Amino acid sequence: MKKQKYSAVPAAVILILALVAAIGSRTFLGPCVHEDGTFGACHWAGQALFGIALVMAAEGLIAALWKNAAVRAGLYISMLLTAILGILIPGTLISLCGMASMRCRTVMRPSMMILFSLMFVAAGTGALLSREG
Amino acid sequence: MNIRKLPFTNLLRKPGRTIALVLLTALLALSVFGGSVVVMSMQRGLKSLESRLGADIIVVPSSAQSKVSFKNMLLQGTTGAFYMSGENLTRTLEVEGVEKAAPQLFLASLKADCCSIKIQVIGIDPETDFIIQPWIEESCRQELGDMDVVVGCDVGVGAGDTLKIYEQYCHVTGKLAPTGTGLDSAVYCNMDTMNKLLKAAEAKGITHDITSEDEGLVSAIYVKVREGYDIGKVNSAIQGHTRKASAVRTKSMITDVSGSLSGISRTVTWLTAAIWILSLVILLIAFAMIVNERKKEFALLRLLGTSRRLLGSVIRIETAVCSLAGGIAGVMIASVFLFPFTKLIESSLGLPYLTPPLPRILLTALATLAGTVIMGSLASAWAAGRLSRVDPGIVLRGN
Repeated sequence: MKKQKYSAVPAAVILILALVAAIGSRTFLGPCVHEDGTFGACHWAGQALFGIALVMAAEGLIAALWKNAAVRAGLYISMLLTAILGILIPGTLISLCGMASMRCRTVMRPSMMILFSLMFVAAGTGALLSREG
Repeated sequence: MNIRKLPFTNLLRKPGRTIALVLLTALLALSVFGGSVVVMSMQRGLKSLESRLGADIIVVPSSAQSKVSFKNMLLQGTTGAFYMSGENLTRTLEVEGVEKAAPQLFLASLKADCCSIKIQVIGIDPETDFIIQPWIEESCRQELGDMDVVVGCDVGVGAGDTLKIYEQYCHVTGKLAPTGTGLDSAVYCNMDTMNKLLKAAEAKGITHDITSEDEGLVSAIYVKVREGYDIGKVNSAIQGHTRKASAVRTKSMITDVSGSLSGISRTVTWLTAAIWILSLVILLIAFAMIVNERKKEFALLRLLGTSRRLLGSVIRIETAVCSLAGGIAGVMIASVFLFPFTKLIESSLGLPYLTPPLPRILLTALATLAGTVIMGSLASAWAAGRLSRVDPGIVLRGN
């Protein structure tokens, strides 16, 4: 029961991290900016990350507000899988620019992988805390 | 109660105190490990660049000095667009003491299909080149023929692949070892290929500072001085013998960079030392407070028959566990921010930056952990001594 009391905390952490990822993917952690206005592959990776981050934020908000432990545990498991998708998007599922010194590879990919890895850890912790009632 | 489990129970029952100690030691480890890796990476980058350069003297057009600094040319691969007559190559070779002279032609930025940014294309003469060929790390064949290119390690193609530049398909014959500079994103080809690429660009209506009609131009001449000759004298001779060109000793450029590198190393060392001293003072204050807070707890343990030695070891184990946890956390945090962002750090520093090999990183991490645990144990030694000597009677009476 005591552990369940804290099970909303990881959801709040996920909500914050997901918002940083969503805002970041459109601004300071975003893909390469093209001089001629065309899009590269990394642009679509950025779009996908934005969408996934918004889904994570919504799930985090629902998990933080929902009182039922079983529902919360289910949401955490869903977030765990979504976080894996977020980690795999840049570079694995959607290719990035070819040059290793480009912004999508130097800024977007590592920062998104770190953010989604942290969300994965938080979701795992949340699932464990919700499980033990 | 199991006395062996006591230090761990204490840590779990006082989460606030434990977290504070872990955070403090994490800060120690983060500063030492992070600072060490950054300094080691810069040193390795400079060393790699020094050996990669291979030339004693670089001859560039006099106009190049105003367009791009030599330091930038070396450190960031900012080759720029400057040209001089190819006659200077013949004149350089005529100077006594010149063993080899390799020309390079810089073409600032061609757009390749691999990247949304433009890439540097550098034309070389494979017959005389001694700068690029020794650093081909991955190769599918030796010679660099027409429409063949050798790419820097950051270009996302490998040996055997095809790179499309201005609708021209170039065959990648080799990939270079990393330098930790902008040269890692350059593409090298022979002069004929360069001419073909220029023609393809012109056909698309894209102009450069040179045209495909300009023949015999070079941007830089890399010179190797024969053994036994004074590089300074050869440098002056080249300077006097060539026209509208400047000869610069690479050693003096490297020394300049070494100077700024040692300045950065000194700053990092002082900052790390300041953080360590500050953290040691905070740890000592924290332990002084813990002594007062835990006097009664230790007096009771003494009354229950616990020896002084055992009480001292309880404090020591608690500190060692906190320091180790903090050390691991600090090393992990530093790793998360350093290794995935290597390229970003390299471009921000504007200095050669090459991450050390894994065994060296692991060794540094282990040394940091050992240092953090030793530091924590030293800071707690006084508290352990004070608490193990508490007089139960006086403490429990409230005096």
